[in-house]
This record gives sequence, structure tokens and C-alpha cells, in this order.
Amino acid sequence: MAEWDLSQRIIPYLDRHLAFPLLAYLTETGLFPAEEVQAAQYELARKTNMVDYAVNLFESVYPGKEIPAEFNEKRKEALLTNERLQQDAQAVLHVIENPDVAQALRQDKNQNLQYLKENYNVNLEQITALYNFGQFQYTVGNYSGATDYLYHFRILSTDADLNTSAHWGKLSSDILIGKWDVALEELNSLRDAIDSRSTPLPASASAADPAALGQLHARTWWLHWSLFIYFNHDQGRTLLLETFLSPTYLNTIQTSCPWILRYLVVSSILSRKAPSPSSRVRHSIREIVKIVQMEEYQYTDPVTTFLKELYVEFDFEAAQKALTEAEKVVANDFFLDNFGDEFMDNARYLISEAYCRIHQRIDIGCVIWLGMQLWDGF
Amino acid sequence: MGSRFFRQAGDSDSDTESSDEESLVSGDDAQKPAAPAKPKSRFLRSGGSSDSESSSEEEESEDSEDEQKPTATAQKVSKYLAAGSDDEDSDEEVKRVVKSAKDKRLEEMEATGTAMNNALKINDWTAISTEFDKLLRMIQRQQNVGDPIPPFFIRTTTELETSVNDAQAKDAKKKMNATNARALTAMKQKIKKTLKDFDKEVKQYQADPEVFEREYTAAVAPEVTKVTKTRKSEGAVDEDDDAFQTVGKDGKALQFTSDSVFKELQHVQQARGKKNTDRNEQIRILEKLLEVAATTYQRIRVLLALVSARFDYNASVASHMPIDLWVAAQKEVDQLINIVATNSHYTVEEAIPDYDELAERTPDEEPDKILRVRGSIISFVDRLDDEFTKSLQNIDPHGTEYVERLKDEKYLYATITRAQTYYEKSKTQSDSLTRVIMRRLEHIYSKPDAVVNALEASISTADVKAAASKLGTTSSLIHSLCVHLYKSGNSLLRTRAILCHIYHYALHNDFHTSRDMLLMSHLQESIHSADVATQILYNRAVVQLGLCAFRCGLIKEAQSTLQEIFSTQRVKELLAQGVHQQRFQVLTPDQEKAERQRQLPFHMHINTELLEAAFLVSSMLVEIPLLASIDSEEQKRKAISKPFRRLLDFADRQVFTGPPESTRDHIMQASKALQNGDWQQCRDLVQSIKIWSLMPEAAAVKEMLAKRIQEEGLRTYLFTYAPYYSSLSLSLLSRTFHLEVRAVTSIISRMIWHEELSASLDQSAGVVVFHRVELTRTQQLAQVLADKVSAMVEQNEKTLDNKLGGSTGWGDRGEGGKGDKREQVQERKGRAGGRGGASRGRGRGGRFQQGLGNQMNEVKVR
Repeated sequence: MAEWDLSQRIIPYLDRHLAFPLLAYLTETGLFPAEEVQAAQYELARKTNMVDYAVNLFESVYPGKEIPAEFNEKRKEALLTNERLQQDAQAVLHVIENPDVAQALRQDKNQNLQYLKENYNVNLEQITALYNFGQFQYTVGNYSGATDYLYHFRILSTDADLNTSAHWGKLSSDILIGKWDVALEELNSLRDAIDSRSTPLPASASAADPAALGQLHARTWWLHWSLFIYFNHDQGRTLLLETFLSPTYLNTIQTSCPWILRYLVVSSILSRKAPSPSSRVRHSIREIVKIVQMEEYQYTDPVTTFLKELYVEFDFEAAQKALTEAEKVVANDFFLDNFGDEFMDNARYLISEAYCRIHQRIDIGCVIWLGMQLWDGF
Repeated sequence: MGSRFFRQAGDSDSDTESSDEESLVSGDDAQKPAAPAKPKSRFLRSGGSSDSESSSEEEESEDSEDEQKPTATAQKVSKYLAAGSDDEDSDEEVKRVVKSAKDKRLEEMEATGTAMNNALKINDWTAISTEFDKLLRMIQRQQNVGDPIPPFFIRTTTELETSVNDAQAKDAKKKMNATNARALTAMKQKIKKTLKDFDKEVKQYQADPEVFEREYTAAVAPEVTKVTKTRKSEGAVDEDDDAFQTVGKDGKALQFTSDSVFKELQHVQQARGKKNTDRNEQIRILEKLLEVAATTYQRIRVLLALVSARFDYNASVASHMPIDLWVAAQKEVDQLINIVATNSHYTVEEAIPDYDELAERTPDEEPDKILRVRGSIISFVDRLDDEFTKSLQNIDPHGTEYVERLKDEKYLYATITRAQTYYEKSKTQSDSLTRVIMRRLEHIYSKPDAVVNALEASISTADVKAAASKLGTTSSLIHSLCVHLYKSGNSLLRTRAILCHIYHYALHNDFHTSRDMLLMSHLQESIHSADVATQILYNRAVVQLGLCAFRCGLIKEAQSTLQEIFSTQRVKELLAQGVHQQRFQVLTPDQEKAERQRQLPFHMHINTELLEAAFLVSSMLVEIPLLASIDSEEQKRKAISKPFRRLLDFADRQVFTGPPESTRDHIMQASKALQNGDWQQCRDLVQSIKIWSLMPEAAAVKEMLAKRIQEEGLRTYLFTYAPYYSSLSLSLLSRTFHLEVRAVTSIISRMIWHEELSASLDQSAGVVVFHRVELTRTQQLAQVLADKVSAMVEQNEKTLDNKLGGSTGWGDRGEGGKGDKREQVQERKGRAGGRGGASRGRGRGGRFQQGLGNQMNEVKVR
């Protein structure tokens, strides 16, 4: 099953901290040797400021070995930095937490800055301290703290680059603390930010335009991060279909990360019966079949094969085979793990639907090869 | 006419003074069409005469040998020579030298020769004919006396032959009046006869003119020497007066020392481009200079001038450079590159500060120890390449000459690579480097691996240690070249590079990579504004992509890719493989000339017949089942492939169809067989098309086609004959079409699922059951009405979208619902290019559904 595991493809597009849950999941599934995964976890943690966690991991990876001295230093350093940054940030926080100030703040950021400067002597540097502290909190694993600070920073700051960075940081923190509703909001606003960066395109613009390339990268990252939310939020699957099937994101998938197709396929199968206002979602399967076919040369796995066998080849036997494979794939996928049964039910339903539509009379005996569980579908 | 020129030439020569006279003469020159050659004759004079009469002096004859080689064939040159001899003729008159009878005869002969030459210049064949008769008579007399045939006569005759052939080839006849034309024909006959008569001598002469002449001279030696001597001394006098005389022949070998190199160079350069300049002579001077050039700097300077002079030789745009000159130029460019590549203190650059042309320079004098010389190697390489292409355009591709010429490509390729290595090393001229890389790429992109490997092998033997050439496979070589060009700032070269890259991938059957590159480059949108050569390259790439799809068995893609170019019906013109005959408008000569210059050399052609076969066969496989599936007239009008439909209609109207001959016939009959459900005949017909043998993997392609024909045959059969059955056994179908039951079931299932066939499978009985629905007239009308209403709704929604969302455009996802709908409308209509603004750099998905990647549901991917 390891060949179908997407962790290696997904992790490069994730933040260091977001990769932890994935690796933790890998230790559970046992697709890879536990030691290797642990070693990977350790390597991952070593570079963060989560010193205690790293030390724990080190002990489990190399039992009996002495803990490297660097951790001690790092811990001290981290504590110092923490204090320093906190002091810096505290000044601003005091001001912001003042109810009067909260009332006086308006939409216009420049005006706010002016206001803060005049009345409370808070300047831009101090606000940036908020960002620094938030980022630090994030690196030590205090995600809820990070999300707060970054939130405040974003309200006040006018620096576009830091703002974007804070945006990603906040999204990541929200994901890691599991506040899916908030995260979803954050996700959408981030998407707006990415999309709005697109400049109006002159026809002659060359493909090598760095801005367009940057946008492509941002979208690719966004797609990967969004998986966390879409597969945990209640409405996630429908939303995923709607977003991923919009032309720009579909293009991104096809261009830079075809493996996302798996999630697209699963979502469309899952939301088979979901009531949706969008015709795109309702007819998603048809569209996705086309895409799967088109991208076959780049990416296939049992999940996409299932769809192809069913709707392109109409080979029910092969589809059934692919489905049994797909069941395992889904069960071993970090994002899809929870949807295994639901996926199987819907997939069987699809098989039966197609089968019955084509056949006038069905030999019950012949149906046996479709698998006994098929009966659930009827 | 002739005599008048004579006199003038004689006059100006013998008059020792005056630029006044000079200008008078040149005024005359301008009036007479034939005149320009005359002044040339003056500075060539003594050289020319030494040729014709030849002296016993060693030095003199050595010179004439040098001269003889390049000129022996060139007819143009011979004019000067002959004219030269007539000059001297008149000199003699003035000086009253006592002559023997033999000399007199000879002079008479030469006079006739000159007269002929003059007549030749004005295309007066009647005069030539008369003069030639005269000459023949004189020769007759000579023979009677027992004297040997003078080489002059042989030369004149051979030259005349070439000019006659030229005149006929040039269709000058048309412009001539009747008498003149008749004279020309008569001349041809006469010359043929004469040449036959003097067969032996002519052969001797052609084999080695010098020897022949020397023999003759030996026979008549005593008299001639005297004459030559007189003339020689006189020539020396002339030299001082005449402005042109400075580059004269006399005593030249003595003059050329390394000290005077720059002076000579300057003279040559000043004369360059002037109307009266004898280019041949210049080349010769420069060759001499190259021999005596002592320092590296001198050598560079002379080589630069020499290569330019060689390129100057042929002023006309239409005709190509003589091949021997080309080869010489190529060698010299090589030499030049080697010099600058090995001596890092010397560079050749285009834009540098002025320096004294006449002074010797060394790197040590320069501030940074690098001596810069004005010139441009890259333009030489460009020119070499262009001339090579031009010669290939002009040579008949079916002759051996073409093949011979093509063999030069490897030398050219080596030169290009050498230049690339040089520029890579020198690092200062990145613009030139990209240009030279482009040249290299253009030489290899369309060639199969074996040929490229051969070219690469030729480099390694040509002792070029190019880093880029040690890259292993062709693909990686092309990739590295292309990547270099992508990084360069020049957008035109970038476009061309990506097209070459696409072409290369398509040639190697890498359809997906190739297609993705084409789509991601977004060239479809901007190619209309590109220059013609790039458009041609684009067409070639697209066509090759279509062929690639065909070879890979992606019939639908092949069809839609080739569709566009075939619907224009000007395939040859679009690929620059032939000039299009326009029925209603005539091209101006300029346009036609431009068109001819664009033509690709034959070895780069994509076989259009093969292309057509691929297109028509894929059209057949797409169109025939479709034709069978529709019944109403209205639907029938919406053809997928118009050219194919047209051919099919035409074939239908034919009363009598004989056995197929052309590729088209084969395909048309195959289509009919397919329509009738006779897939075997269809397969046989398609497979018997001869042109497939030109495809690299012919056997595999044929097999693939057979399979497609089986499948499409089944589909067509079902569409056509479904109304006559109430049920059909799957096993029967499987037997009839030689397909597995599983495949048959799969195909039928798909048809049912997509509602193409109103039927269902009966699994227990193993049959397909058809549900026929007969529509009443009212129902039909109702259906039509429903269609129209839905079309109107779509239209309405679109208008609404445009009104509401016109300003926000595509990036706006707030209107997701509406946007989606519009999206689907567009998809359904299959309109191309509707979503240009969707995103840049990855507008792929959208395009896939409309353009090349247009995969309908019935495409099977096995």
C-alpha cells in the first residue's frame, strides 16, 4: 500500500508544523517502519523551538543515548527570546485590550495607525513585535497564542508581506488547534488574497512571468492546506468540490499537483447525494471522470482507477477490483481515514446505479462477482 | 556597337592623363547597359591578356595559373578577360608593333571574340552568330596552315556554350524578337557541332587549361614573347595614372608584403560595394593577403574582409552562393573562430571604439590586454547558414547534387558548434551566443536521433571540445539548448525555442509533454502577431503534434489537432513546403519571391500525403460513427471534419468507382465499407495505403488502426442497424467484429450510458435489447421546440452574465453559481479561446476541454 501513500508528495507543500499530524498518522498506519517515521519526526522537530518535544522524540529514536547539549542551550535561548518578545508585544497588547481603543478602531488601517500613534504612542515597530511574538509562539507550539497575536497584528499592520505571512501563520494555527469554522473563514479570506493578487493579464504575457508563477505556488500550497479543513469541516466536501473545480484551481491541480485528484474523486463520490445549489457540484462526477481520463498519464491510483473503470470502460468487474484496492487506500490516508465506510457505501451505490441503468435483466448469479456487499446498495 | 566600345576603351587607356577623361567615360558607362564591365576590364587588362596569350616567363604564368582556377568556369569573368584582350589589341594599334601573320590572325580572332562578347552583353544573338561564323572560318584557315588551335578559341566556344544555355534557361527568349530567338537556337546548334568537332582539344583544355596553353605558347613562342614584353612595360606606365590600377594585377605578388596589408585592405574595402568592383579580383587579392599576413591581428583583419568579400560575391537575393565559395567561406570562418578562440587576447566585436585602420596593433597596447577588432562572427555564421539553406532551396531535391550538398551540413554544424563554444568561453557576447544556439537548435530539432547523432559525431571528430555536445542523448541536448534560450531575454528566440522543443517531443512520440508545453506556452493566442517564419514553425509543431497523437493511437486528438490546418486547404503553403496557386488573385513578383525564400529545404519537409492520410483516417474514425448515429438533416450539417465530409459527399456522388489508386481513394472506399459495417474491408483498404511505410512505426500503427476500425465498426454497425433488430446477441457481435465479449459489452454499455443507443443489456440471455421509440410528428416538433427554448435560455443567461459580470471578469468567484453555469454553456458549445483570461501560466484545464485535449466521453483509453 505504501506506493499509494501521498505523504511524501504532500509534505513538501506543508508547513513544518502541519506535517506533524501526518507523520503521527503514519506511525499508526504502519505503512512504513516505525523507526523511520520516528526519525523523520525527530528531524522535523529538531529545527523548531519545541525543544521538549524534540527531546522526547530523541529519546525514543535513540534510546540510551545522551541528549545533545544543543537542546539545553536552545531551551535557554528560547526562554529568553520568549521573554523579550513578550515584553515588546505586551505594550501593544495593553493598548489594544483597552475597550476604548477597540471602539475607536475603524476599517481604515492607516487611520488606525494614526490614532494609535497619537493617543497611545504605539508605532509600527511595536506592532511588528506582535508579529514576531506570534511567530515565536507558533514555533514553540503554542498555536492558540499564536493565532491571537497574529490576529491582532493583521488588524493593525499595513505591511503587505508580513500580513500575508501572518495570514498563513494564522491559518496554520487554526488548523492545528482544530477550530474548523474559524479556519474555514481564514482559508477563504486567504484564497481571496491569493486570487486578487492576479494582475489583469495582457494577452502577450509570457508564461514565465514571475508573478504568475508565485501565484501558482501559493495556490498549490493553499490546495494542500485546505485539505485539512475540507476533510474535517461538516460542509467540507461540497465546498471542496466547488473550489477545486473552479477553473483556476483545477488548472493548478493539473499543472502542479495531480495527486490532489484523489481527494477530488473521493469528495465527489462522498457528496453524491449532498444537496447543493451548484450544478457544478451536482454533476461533479461527470466532470471529474473527464479530468481523471485526461490526467491519466500523470497520475493514477486505485481511487481514480475505480472511477475510470466504472464510467469510461464500464467494466464492472475491474471497477469492483479497483474499489477493494481503493478501500485500503482510503483507510490509510490521513485525510480520508474517517470516511472509509461512507466512501464504500456511495461507491457501491454508484456501481449498482450504473449497472442497473444499462441492464434490462440481471442475472443474480452473475452479480455475485460484484461482491456480496453490493446487496447493501440495492 | 562593339567597335564603339572598343574605341573608347582604347582611348582612355592610351590617354595617360586626366580624370576628366575618366568621368567622361564613366558618363558613357552609365548610358550603355553593357558598359559597367569595361572599366573592370582595364584593371584586369594585363592579367587577362597574360591569360590569353601567356608568356614564357615563370612568374607571369604562375600568376595566370592562380587566376585561372576560379575563373575558368565563371562566364561573367570571361567577359573581362576577353575584353581585356581587345584592349591590348587597340594598344597595339597605337604603338604600331610589328606583327607576324600568326599574330595578326590571332588578333583578328580575338577581335571577333570581343565583338561577340559585346553582342552578348546586349543579347544580340544575330550579331554573335555572324561573328562566330567568322571565327570558325578563321580557325579553319589556321588549321589549313597547320597551326595548333589557339586556346582562346576553345575558351570562347565553351564560354559561349554556357552563355547560350544560360540565355535559354533564363527564358530570355521570350523577350527577344523572332530573329534574335532564331539566331540563338542556331547558335546552340552551331556550338554543339563545333564542340563535337574539336572534342579532343576541348577535353584537353578543360582538363588542364594551363598545360594546353603552355603547349600552344611553346608552339608559337618566339613571336609572342616580344609582344608581351612591350605590353608589360606599357602596363606599368598606366598603373600610375589610373585610380583603379592600384589593385591591378601587375607585380602584385611583389607588392604584397605584410607591411602593406592594411593599405591593401583599405583599398579593397573602399572598392567594396561599388558598382564597378570586380568581386572576383578582390577575393583573389584578399587570399594573397591572407598568405602574407604575418601577425594574428593582420590575419583576423584579412579573414574578416575575405569572408565578407565572399559573401558579397553574389549580390542577387534569389540565387545562392556558388558552392565552392561557400565551402571556402566556411573554412575561413572556422579559421577565424579558431584564431580568436585560441588567442584570448583577441576578440571580434561589433560595437567598439574607432581605431586606426592602417596601424598595426597588438594586445599589449590595449589597457586590458584585449585587442578588439570590429566585425561580427555571428553574422558570418548566420550568413553561412542562410546561404546553405538558400542553396538547398535552389537545388533540385531529387538529384544527387542535393545529397552532396546536404553532406556539407555537418561542416556547417561543426562551425556553428565551434562558434557556440567560442561564445560560451568568451562570455561577453551573450546575445550572439543565444543566436548561435538557436541556429544549432534549428539544425537538429526536426531530425531523428540517428541523424543528430551523426552530426554530433562529426563535431567530435572536428576537434571541437564543446561542453554542450557531451550531453548524451539528443533529447537532453535539445533540452539544454532550449533551456538556455528560455533564459535569454529575447522573446522571439524563446518562442522559437519552445516550438522546436515541442516539435522534438512530438517527433519522439511524447504526446503529453509536447501538448502541455504547447498549451502552457499560450502561443495560440499570440501566434497571429508573430512573424511568418515563426508562424510556419508553429504550424510545423502543431502538425507534428497531430501526427504524434496519431502514432500514439489518440485518434480524437489527432483529428482535432490536424483539423485546423486542413480546413484551410493550404497545407503546403502553411508548412512552407510549396507555393500555393491562388485561383483568383495573382501574387506580385515580390510576394512570390518572398514566398520562395521562405520555403523549407526539402529534407525538412513533413510529408503532406502522410499527413493527409493520418488526418483523413482519424476523421473517418471519428466521423463515420457520428454520421451513423444521427438521423435528422439538421444535425447532419454539423460536421466535425468539413474537409472529410466534403470528400465523402463527393465520393458518394460518383457514379462509378474504380479500384482505389490514390490515398484519398483508399480512405473514401474504406469509409464506405465502414458505413456498411464491413470492417474487414475497411481495415484492408486502410492498411494497404502505401504511404504508411514512411511512418517510423508503421506496423504498430497499422495494428492500432485495425483495432480502432473494429471498435468504430461495431459502433457504426449498431447505430446503423439498430432499428432493424429487436435484440442482438453479444456473442454474435463479438464474433463478427473479432472483439472479446467483454470489449463488446463495454462499448455497448458506454453507448447506453451516454444515451446514444436506446437499448439495454439482458445479462441472462447475453443479448442487447433495443427499445425503439417512434416519434410522431407532433412529438418531433415538440422536441425541436424544446431544443430551441433551451438554446434561448442559455443565450439569455449568457447575456445576463455579460451584463452583470462584465466588469468583474473571471477572477470573481462571488458569483460562483452564475459563473458555473456560464462555464458549462461554454463547454457545451465547445467554443475555443473563451477563457483566455482565466489564468495565466496554467490555463490548461479550460483549454483541455475545448481544444486539443477535447476528449468526448466515448474515447477509450486502453
